[in-house]
Amino acid sequence: MPNESTVLIYGTNLGGYRAAYALGKRGHKFILLNRGSYVDEEKYQALAQLPLDFCWICGHMPQRAFKASGAMQDCYNAQLLAVSGEAGHFHVKFKKRDKPVNNFACTECDQCIEVCPVEVGEGKAIRVVPEAGWENCYVIDFEHCTRCGACEEVCPTGALKVERPEEVVEADVGAILLADAFEEPSDDDLRDFGLGQGPSVIRNSEVARRSLLTNFVRDSVRLPSGRMPQTFAVIVTPHFNRPGVEYENYNLSVSAIYRAIRLKEILPEAEVTVFLHDYRGTGKGHHQWYMKALDAGVRVERAETLSVVPDETVEEAAIHYTSLEGESRTQSVELAILVTGQSPPSQMEELSRLTGVQADENGFCRLRPFSCCETDVDGVFAVGELTGPKGNPETVWDGCAALTEMQRYLGEKNVAPGAAPSLRDVAGEPTRVGVFICSCFGQFDDRMDLPGLVERARALPGVSHAEIIEGCCTGPTIQATAERIKESGVNRVVLATCTPLQKKGKYDKAVMTAGLSPLLCEYLRFREDVIQVHTDPEGMLMKSLALIRGAVEKVKRGRHVSPLVDTFDGRALVVGGGLAGLTAATEIAANGFPVVLVERENELGGQTKYLDEEQREYVKGLISSVNASDNIACYTQAKLGQVEGYAGNYHAVIETPTTPVSVDAGVIFVATGAQESLPQGFLYGEDPAVMTQAELAERMKGGETADHVAMIQCVGSRTPEVPYCSRLCCNQALEHAILLREQGAEVTVFYRDIASYGKTNYYRLAKEAGVSFIRFPGDDVETGYPEVRRNGAGLEVVSEGESHPADWVVLSTGIVPDAENNEALSELLGYPLDYEGFFSSDISNYPYEEAIKKLTKPFELGSNGIFPVGLAHSPRSFEETILTAKDAVGRALVVIGKNKMPPPNKMFVAAVHESLCMGCGVCVDVCPYGARVIDEIERVVKIRPFLCDSCGSCVAICPNNASYLQDFKGEQSVAALDALLV
Amino acid sequence: MSEEREFVPKIVYFMCSWCGTGGAETAAAHHLRYPENVIPSRVNCTGALPAVHVIRPLIEGADGVVISGCHPGDCHYDDGNFRARRRVALVKSLLDTLGLEPERVWFRYVAHGEGRRFVDTAAEFNDHITRLGPNPLKTRSDT
Repeated sequence: MPNESTVLIYGTNLGGYRAAYALGKRGHKFILLNRGSYVDEEKYQALAQLPLDFCWICGHMPQRAFKASGAMQDCYNAQLLAVSGEAGHFHVKFKKRDKPVNNFACTECDQCIEVCPVEVGEGKAIRVVPEAGWENCYVIDFEHCTRCGACEEVCPTGALKVERPEEVVEADVGAILLADAFEEPSDDDLRDFGLGQGPSVIRNSEVARRSLLTNFVRDSVRLPSGRMPQTFAVIVTPHFNRPGVEYENYNLSVSAIYRAIRLKEILPEAEVTVFLHDYRGTGKGHHQWYMKALDAGVRVERAETLSVVPDETVEEAAIHYTSLEGESRTQSVELAILVTGQSPPSQMEELSRLTGVQADENGFCRLRPFSCCETDVDGVFAVGELTGPKGNPETVWDGCAALTEMQRYLGEKNVAPGAAPSLRDVAGEPTRVGVFICSCFGQFDDRMDLPGLVERARALPGVSHAEIIEGCCTGPTIQATAERIKESGVNRVVLATCTPLQKKGKYDKAVMTAGLSPLLCEYLRFREDVIQVHTDPEGMLMKSLALIRGAVEKVKRGRHVSPLVDTFDGRALVVGGGLAGLTAATEIAANGFPVVLVERENELGGQTKYLDEEQREYVKGLISSVNASDNIACYTQAKLGQVEGYAGNYHAVIETPTTPVSVDAGVIFVATGAQESLPQGFLYGEDPAVMTQAELAERMKGGETADHVAMIQCVGSRTPEVPYCSRLCCNQALEHAILLREQGAEVTVFYRDIASYGKTNYYRLAKEAGVSFIRFPGDDVETGYPEVRRNGAGLEVVSEGESHPADWVVLSTGIVPDAENNEALSELLGYPLDYEGFFSSDISNYPYEEAIKKLTKPFELGSNGIFPVGLAHSPRSFEETILTAKDAVGRALVVIGKNKMPPPNKMFVAAVHESLCMGCGVCVDVCPYGARVIDEIERVVKIRPFLCDSCGSCVAICPNNASYLQDFKGEQSVAALDALLV
Repeated sequence: MSEEREFVPKIVYFMCSWCGTGGAETAAAHHLRYPENVIPSRVNCTGALPAVHVIRPLIEGADGVVISGCHPGDCHYDDGNFRARRRVALVKSLLDTLGLEPERVWFRYVAHGEGRRFVDTAAEFNDHITRLGPNPLKTRSDT
């Protein structure tokens, strides 16, 4: 019996949503069980820890398209009841209760809120939770709702039912993904920080939530009295909380720093102090943010212990702390912002009972060694914060990695997109514009003179038809509107409706059902721009007419164009045969796609000298599966000679010791690795007792030990030349320190910040084992580092004038990019490096941009089919290297195997008037997606369809007006502008 | 004086399809009003807005043009908002030559969720242009 193809996703964390998106795109059905009563009722890591003013976690999902194709079934108030069967053939039973308001029928007219007789605070018992991208959610406060039914009666579409029955549903699924959401610590967990005991202590997530819909930070930090605080403390609470109460991921200290920077931007005069024990920004760009905060005048205070005592009456809080030197201090602030960690997942016990997954010693879901998401049970996967305190990038990567790992349990794809309606080419027909004005089920009739507007619209030049429609956002009204468009015989449409950002898909559907291309249609927002802005009918009429005039002028000049289609090669090229490259190659090949693997050394495996036994065995296993696979062609002592083309259509030449081989591929994985940084100074190379951590590991393996060992952290990391944290050195040093302690050695660690992260708290273990820690003044890299000197037969480490004798000095050296190789490859591939010298990813103005962008803009081909993985991407541990590779494979699996692909926005692509194009190439430079290329023979620009996301940069830059978007041409938009202003 | 008080400027508000229109939709969901005399116009990305489109309304009788795109780093297309910012700077330098005050054009960042900021931006700009007075091109006979 073939395996089931559907996936059950329990919970809605970032990784769960990411996996859902990838599954839907790849063509698998999924059932999304949400414990909450609406899409983001359950707390999100993004909101709890990111001082961003948005969270688009749900908005990135094309929910309407997914639902229409049957890919997505989302269930609210859901609870998993039973799981039986085995991997590939699970039978699950769950209960759910639908939301009171059915989004698909709701027009968001707000009448239910108007009639609701129950006042709750400033609102009513039914209220709207505006969601970016997802439909606005209407939620009922059942605690206060009197079940009077007034809202049900007034709802024009019958979308609202106050009481919905609880249903029990059974389903057969191939795999189960556990993605339970982030849980914030309770007020009681944070009692040492004075939360809830006074007005001047607040959670960071609360600030984020407040700023979500206000004028950002300014109002979100205002004190209850209305006063704007001038002294702030931003406290990373897990650094000071009781053990086991909350867990920290490395985001937190970055969040604190980022919040501080934002505060300084908004209130430059304010005094902002960040309290933490160590700055643990180990990700891309995090060190730069730290330096930026110092430049902005943020004070960073490192403390050993800390508690907050808020004043109950005055808006002030006293922060009592002991410095690292053991000195007790107190600082008074007006507002203390708590950057909190994560509680262990509350659902773990229940999930364990239902599915058999096991918890680890901290209460998180246990995973198999060297896997990204596989639990102890075959076919059951866990992602994100359920599996441990993870940073945002890892949580997001988990999603696509889960897709990669679960492939082997899933059957054939079971979602096929429906056939697109056939569209009529209107070229040659006389222009007949139809204006369709939505009355929102009669609601707008009361507000403005719709029949009068129809009369005036009909009189506009070019308009042959105008009428009032009931709506265009519910199934029946979409159908009715399509009929009306068809019957009226128009070939251009102006739809005066509302909220196009959310409902554009519905309007497109209506127009396309009527056989017209959406390029021949324009949508107006009457609710946003007319009904809710104007108060007098005359003003409404004039504004409506102006908007209609502009739209009519635009659509008059619209043309029908068939969507472009291009081919996508289902083969992959992997550059680099280390852990990341081997993982990518085996996973792609396991899914039936041919892979070419290029390795510059004699043999596969990469830099195994830094690995332990188990890890070496794992790499050996990968090498044998690469060698055994029929789908993988492997070239050693080879390198990439030439690469041409673009995503889906790469042509490469590989230089091998014998003859050059030419290879075609759709995607390229860059897995070229990095190098260990070699220390300079510290008597390294001059005295055999000074060594690196890797050399120490070798010596320890040989049974050597010493009485006094000194370790110096951050050697060649977080300096002006190497402006990042190498991520691995702290954990590695701590592990070694603990081992040395066990053998009886005295170990002293000289550090700037201990950036240990992950499930095992090596820092605490090392402290418990009796390792001593001495901080050197780290922010001044010129003078801060300790000095290593010879002292008689031994060595001494001198830090801040104090001498510490040592038999061995171990330098924790970082990871540096292979600059020469990376630059050459970057040039060859046309793929940028970041300022750290690794292959770029979407980092920019927010410290978590990489993760968030991959969620909010999941444009798989945004990187032109090139995926940097492993150490070529950034310093990563062994497990994280596997994770980056599996994430990239998951993203690639979404696109490879689709032999033909349309542009992401179908007909809305850029195009070129070839007669006007002079081949100057400025648009090629400006295109963020590499979607344009100069045809060397014709000297004009050509478009690569599926790389074009129709941003329009080329339109604005073109000196000849040759470049245009299919729905944004100069002759259209200028005419529309003029008409708006008549 | 009385004439000045009655001056209601004509303002074109270009918003990008992502954060710009999103801001307006969030504002509407919260029943926040922007000034009636502001005429909205949607472009796909502020980076797609040619300089001509910014100058054209000013020649055609608008008193001011305000453009709002996504916050830095938040552009749907990565850096369209930065391109727009650069282009607006260029346009401002041209306005002087045309006999117009550069401050008749504003470029602002408004995020999708910032309904309040969207409305505030429109209102602030409206006040600003009202203080600045009508577009001088409207009363010039030589153009």
